[in-house]
Amino acid sequence: MDKLFPTQEIGSLAKPAWRVKGYRGEPLSKEEIAEAVSWGKRLDIENLEGLIEILKKKKERTSEDRRALLQWSAKFVIRFFEVAGLDVVFDGEQWRSEMYEHVIRNVDGFKFLGYVKSFDYRYFNKATCIDKPKYVKSFYVEEFAFTRENTEKMVKVPFTGPYTLVDWTFNEYYERKAGGKIKDFKQRKTAARREFLFDLIKEVIRPEISCLIEAGAKWIQIDEPAATTNPSTEEMELFAEAFNETVKGFNCTFSLHNCYSNYKVLAKYASQLRNCSQLALEFANRDSRQAGRGETRVGYKELKFFEDHGFRGKYGLGVVDVHTDFVEPPELIRDRILHAVSIVDDSSRIYVSTDCGLRTRTWEISFAKLKNMVFGAELARKGFL
Amino acid sequence: MREVGLKMLGCYVTGILPRPKELIETTRAYDRKRVGKEELEKAFKEATVKVIEAQTSAGLSYVTDGMFQWQDLLRPFTENLGGIKIGALARWFNNNTFYRKPIVSGEILHKKGITVEMANMECLPRNVPWKAVLPAPYTLTKLSENHFYKNETALMFRYAEILREEIRSLAEKGFKYVQLSDPALVYNPFKDPISRDTLTDVKNALGKAVKGVAVRVCLQTFFGDFTQILPEALDFPVDNLGIDLYETSFEKLKEFTFNKGVALGLVDARSSLLEDERELTTVAKELIESIYPSKTCDVFICPNCDLEFLPWERAKEKIKIVAKVAKNLQKELS
Repeated sequence: MDKLFPTQEIGSLAKPAWRVKGYRGEPLSKEEIAEAVSWGKRLDIENLEGLIEILKKKKERTSEDRRALLQWSAKFVIRFFEVAGLDVVFDGEQWRSEMYEHVIRNVDGFKFLGYVKSFDYRYFNKATCIDKPKYVKSFYVEEFAFTRENTEKMVKVPFTGPYTLVDWTFNEYYERKAGGKIKDFKQRKTAARREFLFDLIKEVIRPEISCLIEAGAKWIQIDEPAATTNPSTEEMELFAEAFNETVKGFNCTFSLHNCYSNYKVLAKYASQLRNCSQLALEFANRDSRQAGRGETRVGYKELKFFEDHGFRGKYGLGVVDVHTDFVEPPELIRDRILHAVSIVDDSSRIYVSTDCGLRTRTWEISFAKLKNMVFGAELARKGFL
Repeated sequence: MREVGLKMLGCYVTGILPRPKELIETTRAYDRKRVGKEELEKAFKEATVKVIEAQTSAGLSYVTDGMFQWQDLLRPFTENLGGIKIGALARWFNNNTFYRKPIVSGEILHKKGITVEMANMECLPRNVPWKAVLPAPYTLTKLSENHFYKNETALMFRYAEILREEIRSLAEKGFKYVQLSDPALVYNPFKDPISRDTLTDVKNALGKAVKGVAVRVCLQTFFGDFTQILPEALDFPVDNLGIDLYETSFEKLKEFTFNKGVALGLVDARSSLLEDERELTTVAKELIESIYPSKTCDVFICPNCDLEFLPWERAKEKIKIVAKVAKNLQKELS
């Protein structure tokens, strides 16, 4: 992108109540419908009456209604990002139930086993691989095509990465398969994990990327939250190899998003990622809230690891903390950007970003944060005039 | 628990059990403030009864209460010891699960009986011996953020004193077996050599923790290769040593001769695949014959780590496999 300091959001935006309940076919309260109308007007959405009609339905909504609701909420988010002033847009993952489930439910060879503990009273629905993964239908193309039709801006496709899908899934099929051949349990599991990962890439991930590119996708962001869960050399090399195999030979821009992770470890392997134009990383949540550069910017220390280890691509620089309602003032955003520039010594390598998706914030807070992020980037640009 | 060629052959679960579906639903509802404390307590109790029943009917030789109120292995200590504050979420080794870091900011003060109070003893059966699980001093230390004690060893020794009190209380209440979970001792992704000094400190801390306690104690390691701490671990002052067989090289393990009991982590709590009990029996037999040329020690069959990584229904099947393997071994070794 020619513009200095382009701005982007990184992942999912909260799904409004009217999208969630509406899609489930539940009745909506007056307040919930009013929220849709209010944001619709604010975002200058056309033909709102069509949406209201669906939302007001007391009886069961048809599958057409439900599909229309996905499109409506995607349209809202695309406009949300545009009106906030972002340079790169997408639909805030409004079509997806969740980054993991959405993919697994659309691929053959998997079965959900039920909820397992994440921490405290939080759980996640975990699947197991019971057969060789099989690509049966596209799972991102429809949403991408819709976004493409509804914006003039640069479009990015967030794509749940294969390493994370494998790390978050039990591996019955391949462990059983390796059972007869390898006696040592550890070696057996390692071999089974590898085979699962590369089969998934070959059978599912690459076919979907092909379809996206055919549909016109120019930029795919590979989301790998699990990248450093297993920080051993063998596992990190496996992760890098998986990324390279995923993107190999495609004529498309790829980036990697990884957050709340071990950047000391990731930095060591970042330069091994081929065709990775950008690393989207989280920093704001570790940083102080005072404006200023240098020592004040404690949260950005780890950016240097990536430079020291020879990564020379761009950075999706997290300047907005997604886990707090604190709305970062533009001056703070500006200083975070300029501080990062002083580390990487090349202003064209900085994309101004949120730490992660704003999913846990309200739309009101998210909007305020994004607008300030855009203002902050503008202030930083002025510093370079 | 019958005398076989070995002194004793037993079986049990290794740590926190997965919450059954109904309990998951109630805890989620509680988290979202849709149900009150009373309903939550009731759900905990019902789930506890359910998983105890599953253990006894499978034929385990020791039972635990499932540890449902333990949000993580350290939490009862993080929340109830003076001088410790609850820190941020941190990754639980190489898993997609998280614990809250204990921040040690002052002298650690202890009021006896933290774990006894949480042990659900009224639900535990009278006819099967009880097992309790605690964090080992080394793991407690490595996972804490120390802002008070002069070094990690001093902190580890303080934790060891507290653990001793806890173990004594548990023994007084009738627990027959205490497992000290020590994943940090063997989890070593960067393959740093573990120094002899560290292992000596661990040995001394364990000595402090078990001094004069009238209960069988096992140091259960998992998430890493047990052979890293051999042969030093054979001198640790515990009755049994627990080994994660999904992380430990069989070949290396077979090079050693054991002089104390082992808990073989033969069932994989981090995989949903139900193991073939015949294969596990063969593997166990080979290992036992190899590490006990004289065949005079105790052997326990168990999952490699806490079963909480699985949904309850699958974990229940794995508990049955644990019991079956122990039964098969009894036949084959007697």
